[in-house]
Amino acid sequence: MAKMKIKAKEKKGIVKVKAMFTSLMADKEEAIKKGISPSYIRYIVAKVKDAVVYEVTMSGFMSENPLVKFEFKGNKGDKLTFTTIDNDNKTETDTQKIK
Amino acid sequence: MFKLDHKSILIGISVVASTALLLTGCLSSPSSTNSSAKAQSNELTGPYAGKLGAIDGGVIYPRENGMYTAYVLNEQSTEGINHGRVPTENELNAWNLDALPDGTGLPEGEGSVEEGDELYEANCASCHGDFGGGGHGYPQLAGGNQDKDENGIVKTLKNQRLEPGMDAPKRTVGTFWPKATTLFTYIRDAMPYAHPKSLSNDENYALTAYILAQNGIKIDGEKMTDEYVLNAEKLAKVVLPNNDGFYPNIDGPEGPANVKAFFADRAKNIGAGVRCMTDCKDPGMEAAGAKEAELVRIDYEMADVVPPYSTVRDLPPESEDVTISKAEKMYNESCKLCHSSDRMGAPAVGDVQAWGSVTKKGFDQVLRNSIDGMGGMPPKGGNDSLTSDEVKSIVEFMIDSSK
Repeated sequence: MAKMKIKAKEKKGIVKVKAMFTSLMADKEEAIKKGISPSYIRYIVAKVKDAVVYEVTMSGFMSENPLVKFEFKGNKGDKLTFTTIDNDNKTETDTQKIK
Repeated sequence: MFKLDHKSILIGISVVASTALLLTGCLSSPSSTNSSAKAQSNELTGPYAGKLGAIDGGVIYPRENGMYTAYVLNEQSTEGINHGRVPTENELNAWNLDALPDGTGLPEGEGSVEEGDELYEANCASCHGDFGGGGHGYPQLAGGNQDKDENGIVKTLKNQRLEPGMDAPKRTVGTFWPKATTLFTYIRDAMPYAHPKSLSNDENYALTAYILAQNGIKIDGEKMTDEYVLNAEKLAKVVLPNNDGFYPNIDGPEGPANVKAFFADRAKNIGAGVRCMTDCKDPGMEAAGAKEAELVRIDYEMADVVPPYSTVRDLPPESEDVTISKAEKMYNESCKLCHSSDRMGAPAVGDVQAWGSVTKKGFDQVLRNSIDGMGGMPPKGGNDSLTSDEVKSIVEFMIDSSK
């Protein structure tokens, strides 16, 4: 399954974005409880034409499969690219056209 | 659709059977059927011959010699007896709305994932969460790992909540739901929660497509993009990951036979087949050569508790307060409520001025007032059980305390 789901819609010059990332968001404490190895997203960045529109640093405090919502001024047809870095420095990237 | 349904079908069958018996049977002496042999271990030793082996500790009694335990079987022919009438075609069609997994019964219509997205946002997301992710107290529709173990069982369905903080089984459409056609019929018949049956068939197809897409379902190997259009033909082709996770197969004319065969082999399909009622740490495993079930006891029992554990429910013993006089005690019980302060308009005990003006009337008058009542004060302070002498001693105490 895809690691992330992105939805970006433009209306009157404002692009509303919703994105959901597949991750257990299990920090060290939770991982010990569940008997798994820690796995959480620690950094998310969203870019349009190499310009950063959203950037956040997080850790296990976020709930499983974190959902982010934000809006910015943008145009239809541009490509929105999300990049996440997890605790093992593994990078995931996905791109979605703004509708 | 769900596992429970398998059970309820069986219960339904047995209910039908038992009601039929109740309707036809009537009591007779039980002695006539109490003669069969009880040689085998699964045969009953009760008043009626029968054997264990029905589901969940149930008993099967034979129907022989026109009897079923104490009940006489009705063996009259039912030929020529009709109940009600044959439904008209319209009545049948109004009732026959389900859609089989092979697509039979699905209505015409089509809807795209993108249309479904908009509908979902408007009608569903407030309860089922964005992207079907749940989190609002209503079922999660998408998500959950769809990986399977070596037996073909979805791993996240085997989650057990043994300790706080552990995950429950993930029961989304992608991990749990067996047939996609029921997804359509369920949405059509029961959703949106606030106004069910308000969506058209096209909209229902769109919503079905959106939920399938969110679960990453592929139809005929084709990934469901935003432009993907779902219709009856394509929906019938969907094979959900947990398609084979339900057993036995209850569909079709072979259904009841499958169910019977499944429960006949209890040891393999359900467990050891013996219901454990005591020392159930390891039920049924002793027979398989395992050692005796281990009893778990409390390791560190707290015994040195002060005061010690007790099941006695007495009130603590009442001790006589020797420092106060009998009169003061009676005053505390019957008079103090009003006379402890001047808030109730009564002269407060200890208030020299107030009691000075009271005692001006003379002791006999004060006593008479307290016995008969005066102003807001009820006779004897409201406690009728006091004798005149007791009232007198109380009044003396109150006057003495206020000098």
